Amino acid sequence: MAKMLEFRQLSKKYPGTVSPAVDNFNLDVEQGELIVLIGPSGCGKTTTLRMINRLIEPSSGTLIVEGRDYRTYNAVDLRRRLGYVIQRIGLLPHLTIAENITFVLKLSGVDRTSRQKRAIELLEMVGLEPAEYLDRYPKELSGGQQQRIGVLRALAHDPDIILMDEPFGALDPLMREQLQEEFKRLQQNVAKTIIFVTHDMDEALSMADRIVLMRDGGIVQVAEPEEILRHPADEFVASFIGRFRVLRQASEVSVGEVMLTGPVTIGAHQGLAQAMELMRRRRVNTLLVRDTTKTFIGMVSQASVRHHFEAGETFKVSMIAEMPQKTLKPDDTALTAMHQMLEGNDLELIPVLNDDGKLMGLITRGSLVGLLGDALRVAAEVDPSSRSSEGAS
Amino acid sequence: MTLLSHTWQFFMAHPSQVWRATVQQLYLVAIPMALAIVLAIPLTILSTRIRWLYGPVIGFANGLQTIPSLALLALMIAIGMGIGTFPAIVALLLYALMPIIRNTYVGIMGVDDGVKDAARGMGVTTWQMLWIVELPLALRVIIAGIRSALVTTIGFATLAALIGAGGLGQLIMEGMGMASNSIVLAGTIPAIILAFLGDAIMGKLENVLTPRGLKG
Repeated sequence: MAKMLEFRQLSKKYPGTVSPAVDNFNLDVEQGELIVLIGPSGCGKTTTLRMINRLIEPSSGTLIVEGRDYRTYNAVDLRRRLGYVIQRIGLLPHLTIAENITFVLKLSGVDRTSRQKRAIELLEMVGLEPAEYLDRYPKELSGGQQQRIGVLRALAHDPDIILMDEPFGALDPLMREQLQEEFKRLQQNVAKTIIFVTHDMDEALSMADRIVLMRDGGIVQVAEPEEILRHPADEFVASFIGRFRVLRQASEVSVGEVMLTGPVTIGAHQGLAQAMELMRRRRVNTLLVRDTTKTFIGMVSQASVRHHFEAGETFKVSMIAEMPQKTLKPDDTALTAMHQMLEGNDLELIPVLNDDGKLMGLITRGSLVGLLGDALRVAAEVDPSSRSSEGAS
Repeated sequence: MTLLSHTWQFFMAHPSQVWRATVQQLYLVAIPMALAIVLAIPLTILSTRIRWLYGPVIGFANGLQTIPSLALLALMIAIGMGIGTFPAIVALLLYALMPIIRNTYVGIMGVDDGVKDAARGMGVTTWQMLWIVELPLALRVIIAGIRSALVTTIGFATLAALIGAGGLGQLIMEGMGMASNSIVLAGTIPAIILAFLGDAIMGKLENVLTPRGLKG
C-alpha cells in the first residue's frame, strides 16, 4: 500500500522553551489507516497534527505528504488537500449548513450547483434529511449535530487525508459514543487516511488501527490497540491505559480505579418531587444524598421516595436518607469491595467516601463484574488448561 | 405653544435658509463620517494584524475624545487651520474616530478562535480570512461603532458654526444673537430630527447587514 504520510525526524521547538514540543517524530502512515495520537496534555500530539497542515511550521526534520516533501506545497493548497476537524467545531456561524459543508469547494472555485449537490449527498450519507438541514444555520443545531456537519465538511472535497483534533472531545459521553460509531461506519465506506488526536484511551482503543502513544514530545509506543493492551511498552504506557490493567489481581486493583465517578447525587435540601424527577430523568433507582460540601449524608431508594411523596410529605430528602451499612474508601482493594458486596445480600451499590466523608464515587455489582469478566477472559487466554476444557465442551 | 408657532412661522418665512443650513449640516456630518470610516477601519484592521499598533492608535483616538469638543474647534484655529468648513471637518473627523476604531477592533478580535482555526486549517488565505470570516462576523459590532460615532457627530456638528462652518448651528447662534428663541428652535429641531434619523437608519442598517445565522 502507498504511504500517505512519512514523518522523518520531525521536530518542533518553540523559541524561548527549553525542551522541544515534538522531538524526532518518525512514523509511516499507510493509505486508509486511522492513526490515533494519544498522550497526556503537553505531549506534543496536537503540535504534531498541526505540523501536517502547516498551521505550525516544523523546526527540523521533514514530512512527506503523498510522496512530496511538505515544503514543496503552498501552505494554503496543502490545507485544501486535507480535511480538518477540530474540537471547537468552528462552523462559520454566518453561513448555512450547505455553505459550511462545501466551504473548501467554494474556496477552490467549484460552482454552486455542484456544491449543493455534494452537500445533499453528504447529508444523506449520514442520514440527515437534506431538505431540513441545508438552509439552516449552525446555531440552530445541537453540539452533536454541529460536529456531524464538521466531519462532513472535512469530507466534502474528498481529501485523501483527514486531520482530526479531539473531534468528539467537547461532546457529552452519550453523544461522543454515537458520533464515534457513526464515524467508524463512515470510515468503512470512505477509507480515508486519518490522523486522530485524543486524550481518551477508550476512544483510541475503539477507533484506531494503530495507536501512537506520546510523552514529552516523543513517541513511547506505536502499536495496534490489542498489542498495546497486551504488551504495554513500559510503566508509563501501562499506567496510561490504567483501567485496562486486567492482568492484575482483584487484590491489586483499588476501588478508586474501578469505581464509577460522577454518580447521580441530590442535594440534602432538595424536595421529594425533585428526587422523583431526578430518578426518572437519570433512570436510577437510588440517589446519593450529599450536602453542599459534597459530604455524603446517606442514600434514598425510589421506593422510599415514592412512598413518602404519595403520603403527601413535604420534607426534604435528607429526612429519609439512610446511611448504608457499608461504605468503601478509594484505596480499599477491589477484593474488599467484592467481599462487602457479597456480605450484604441485597446490596446493589456501595458509596466510596474519602477520609472526610466526601463522596468520591460508587461501586456497583456491574463495575465489579466487569473486572471479574476481564480477569477471567485473560485467565482463559493465558491458561492452556482452561482453553482445552473449552474445546472439550 | 406660541414659541412653536413662531418657529413654524420662521420655517415658512425662510424655507431656503433653513434648508440651506440643513444641507450644510448634512455635509458637515457626511464628509467627516465618511473620512473617519475610511481612515479608522483599515487602520484598525492593520492593528489587529500588527498588535503593537493598537495601543498608539486607540490611545490617540481616546486622547482626542478627552478634549472638549469646543476646545477642539478652537484648537483647529490655534494650529493655524483658520476658520471655515475645512477645519470643522477635520475636527469632526478626529472626534468620530474613537468609537469606530474601538468597535472594529473589538469586533474582529472577538471572532471565535475555533472558527478562525477551522477556517485557516481549511485553507483560507489571509485576505479570505478577513473578507469571508472576520469582517462578516464583526460587521454588526463595527456598524454599532459607526452608529455611535454618527450620533455624536450630528450633535457636535452644530458647534462647527462657531468657527464659521455654517450649518444648523449657524441658525442657533443667530437666534441667540437676536434673543429669538424661535430661531434657536428652528436650528435645534432639524438637528434633533437629523440625529434621530441617523440613529434609526444605522439601526436599520445594523439589522440588515447582520447575517441571518447571527441573529436572535
